[in-house]
Amino acid sequence: MPPVLDMRDISKSFGGTLALSRFSLVLEPGRIHALVGENGAGKSTLIKTMTGIYQPDSGEILVDGQPVTFPGTAAAQRAGIAAIYQEPMVFPDLSVAENIFISHQNRPRLINWSKLNDEAAAMIARLGVSLDPIRAAAELTLAEQQTVEIARAISLNARILIMDEPSASLSDHEVKRLFGIARSLRDQGVAVLYISHRLEEIFALADTVTVMRDGKHISTKPVAEVTQASMIAEMVGRDMAGRFAREPSKNTGVTLLKVSNLAKTGTFRDVSFTVNKGEIVCFSGLVGARRTDVGLALFGVAPADAGTVEIAGQPVTITSPNQAQSLGIAYVSEDRRKLGLALTEGISANITLPMLGKYAGAFGWLDRMRELADAQAFRQQLNIRAANLTVPVGTLSGGNQQKVMLAKWLNTRPRLLIVDEPTRGIDVGAKAEVHQILRTLAAEGVAIIIISSDLPEVLSLADRILVMREGRIVGEFAGDTATDESVMRLAVAAPDTVTGVA
Amino acid sequence: MRVPLGTLRILVLLAVFVATGLFFASQIDGYLNARLFNRISGSVAVIALIAVGQAFVVLTRNIDLSIGSVVGGTAYFTGGILIAYPGLPPMLVPFLAMAIGAVFGAANGFLVARFRLPSIIVTLATLAIFRSILVQSSDGSSITTDRLPPWLTEFATMNAFTVGDLQIRWIVVISVLVVLTAHIFLTRFRAGRTFFAIGSNPDAAAFAGIDAGRTIFLAFVISGALAGLAGFMFLSRFGNITVVAGLGLELKSVGAVVVGGVNIFGGSGNVLGVLIGAALIDLIDTSLVRWALVSAFWREAVLGLLILLAVAADTVLMRRLLRRKPTGGAP
Repeated sequence: MPPVLDMRDISKSFGGTLALSRFSLVLEPGRIHALVGENGAGKSTLIKTMTGIYQPDSGEILVDGQPVTFPGTAAAQRAGIAAIYQEPMVFPDLSVAENIFISHQNRPRLINWSKLNDEAAAMIARLGVSLDPIRAAAELTLAEQQTVEIARAISLNARILIMDEPSASLSDHEVKRLFGIARSLRDQGVAVLYISHRLEEIFALADTVTVMRDGKHISTKPVAEVTQASMIAEMVGRDMAGRFAREPSKNTGVTLLKVSNLAKTGTFRDVSFTVNKGEIVCFSGLVGARRTDVGLALFGVAPADAGTVEIAGQPVTITSPNQAQSLGIAYVSEDRRKLGLALTEGISANITLPMLGKYAGAFGWLDRMRELADAQAFRQQLNIRAANLTVPVGTLSGGNQQKVMLAKWLNTRPRLLIVDEPTRGIDVGAKAEVHQILRTLAAEGVAIIIISSDLPEVLSLADRILVMREGRIVGEFAGDTATDESVMRLAVAAPDTVTGVA
Repeated sequence: MRVPLGTLRILVLLAVFVATGLFFASQIDGYLNARLFNRISGSVAVIALIAVGQAFVVLTRNIDLSIGSVVGGTAYFTGGILIAYPGLPPMLVPFLAMAIGAVFGAANGFLVARFRLPSIIVTLATLAIFRSILVQSSDGSSITTDRLPPWLTEFATMNAFTVGDLQIRWIVVISVLVVLTAHIFLTRFRAGRTFFAIGSNPDAAAFAGIDAGRTIFLAFVISGALAGLAGFMFLSRFGNITVVAGLGLELKSVGAVVVGGVNIFGGSGNVLGVLIGAALIDLIDTSLVRWALVSAFWREAVLGLLILLAVAADTVLMRRLLRRKPTGGAP
C-alpha cells in the first residue's frame, strides 16, 4: 500500500530551540502506528505540524504522494487529517448529532433533525459503539465525548486520525472500548497515529512504533521487533555530557514532613512519603501522573480528601494556601505566567506579594523602602538580572522570572519548599544557577520537594526520587544510584510488570 | 420518557408566569381582565424584540448594554425623519428604523469582532456614546405627537384582530412573528446553530472552522436591527420622544434573556423562553404599580431580584447536570 501521509525531513524551531529536527514519518492506510517519546521529545509539535496549527520551517509533507502545505487547520482537515486529544473538544450545549456534523459545510441550510440524528447514529455505529444522538455533550463521560470527536473526524472523511494520549484519563473498560474503535477504523482503511505514555498499550494495539527524542527520529520498527526495554532505552538514551554534576547531600536526617496515605478521589491515592530537613526529594513521572496534584494538595490549593500530614511531628490538615504558608510551606508553580507572577508588576512588588503584612504599617500603609531593600537583597543573592527593581517582570527572561518566583516564596522563609518544574523553558546557564540556589537552600535546612519531568535534573539534584504513575507512588530510588532507564521504566511500565523496587 | 432540559425550562417558566398572574389576581381586585392583557401585550411586544436581539448576542458569550440607547436613538431619528418627510410610505418606516438600529449594532459588532474587545466594555461605552449622539443631534428638543403623521401614533393601537374583549394589536403580531422567525432560524438552520456553537466552546468552534468573528458581528447587527424595530414601536406607542427615551431597557432585555433561560455564559437557550421571560418581567412590573402592599418604587429591585434568582437557579441546575457526569479519572 502506498503511504497516505509522508513527512520528510520536517524541522521546526521556536526561538533558539529546535523542537523538530529533520523528522520523518510515514503513515500507511489500515495500520496503527504508535509514537513514543519522553516529555518534551517534540510529539506535540509534530502533531501541530500535521494538523496545520504550526507550519514547518523546512521539509516536505506529502498526502497520497502529492506535496501539500497546511496554512491552517482547515487545510489539514480538507486533506483528511484529524486529531483527537486527551481533553475532548466538544460543544457541551449541543447534542451528540450536532457535535458530529457542526463543521459540515455541504449539508443543507435547513436542518432536518430526524435525518441528522439517524446519520449520527449510523456514524457512531461504524465505530462499533452506541450512543444516543440527542443527548447533550455535557452529559457524556470523557470517553463518550472522545467517541463523539472520533465520529466527527470520520464523518469528515478523515483518513489519518491522530490520537494524542487518548487513554490518559480513561478507565480500563473505556480504554478497551477505545481500542475497539481504533481497530475498527484501521479495518476500514484509516491510518491511525497513536500516541501514548503507556507502553503496554502499544503492544496491544499498534502495528508499527516510532521512537522520537529531542525532536529527532530515533527508530521505526514493527511492534513485533521491539520490547519495552528497547523502547525505553531509545527514549532516554542521551550522552553523559548533558548531565549536571551531583553534590553531596545536605540531608540532616530530621523528618520535617510526613505524609501518610494521602488521597484525592479521581486524582491520586496511597501517597506516603517523608522529607527531611535539608533533603531534596524529587517526584518523577510522566505528564498526567498527578505529581502536581500532590503538590497542590500539600499547599492547600486543591486539598486532599483523605490521609494524614505531619509537619515537624504535628498533625495538620491543610485546607488553604494561606494556612499552608503559615505552616511554613511555599509552592513555586510550574506555570510562571498564569499562576506565579503578576507580569505587569515590578520585581519588588512580586517578591513581597505573599508577605504584604510584613511591610504594612498603620492603616495598611506599605513601607516601600523596606520592600525595596528586601527585594534588592534577593536580587543580589539570586543574581536576578534586571535594569532595576520596578521593571515589569513580564519583560525579563524566563530564567530571571523563575528567580523572581523563587525569591517571592523564599521571602516567606519556608521550612518546606515545593517547586514544580523549576527549570522548564529556561536556558542552561540559568538552569545551573537555579539548581545551585536549591542546593544552597537545602544546606540551610529547608526541606525541598521538586516535581520535575527533566530526568537529568532529577538525577543531579535528588537525594531521593519518588516515581509516580497514574496517581500512585510506584517506586523509590536513592538519587546517587538511579539511572535514566531505571526511573523511566518505572514511570511507564504496566502495573503487572512492576517489580518491587519500592 | 425524559423531558429535554430546554422543554422543561419553558414549562417551568409558563408555570411561574401563570402562578404570578394568579398571585396578583388574589391581591388586586378586578385584576384579570381584558384591559390588563391589552396594556401588557403592547409593552411586551417592545421588550420581546430587544430581548430576542439580546439573546442572539448572549448566545455568543457577549452582551449588548447599548440596547436602550439604540431604541431611544432610532425612535428619535425615525421621528425626526418623519417630521421632515411626512409623506414617506408607512410600509417603509419600520425598515428604515431597523436599518438605523443595524448601523448602531454594526458599530458594536465591528469593535467586538474585529478588535476582540470585551463586549461588556464596548457596549457600555457605546451606551453612553449613542445616547450623547442623540442628545447632541436633538439639541435637547423633543419629538412630540402633534408633529408626527397621524398614522404613526394610531398604528400602536391598531388591532390585527380581536378575540372577545382581547385586542390583538399589530405590534404584538409583528413581535410574535419576529420571535417565531428567530426561533426557527436558531433551531432549524445551520447558520443559527453557529451562534450556539461559538458560545458553547469557542476553541472547538475555531477548530471546526466556524468564523466566530462573522457570527458575533451578525449577532450585534441583529440586536441593533431589532432594537431599531423596537424603537419604531416605541415611537408609535408614545409619540413624545425625549432624550431619555429607552433609558434602562438594557436591564429589561438582559433580565428577559436570563429569566427566559438563556445561559449568560453563552451556548444554550431558547427565544420562546425569552418571550415568556419578557412577558413575566412586564407582568410583574405592571402589577406592582397596582399592588397596594408594595411601593411601586421597588419595581427595579424586584426585576434585579428576579435576574439573580434566575441566574442562581440556572447555575445550580447546570452544576447538578455536570456532577451527574461520571468521569473516568485516574484511579
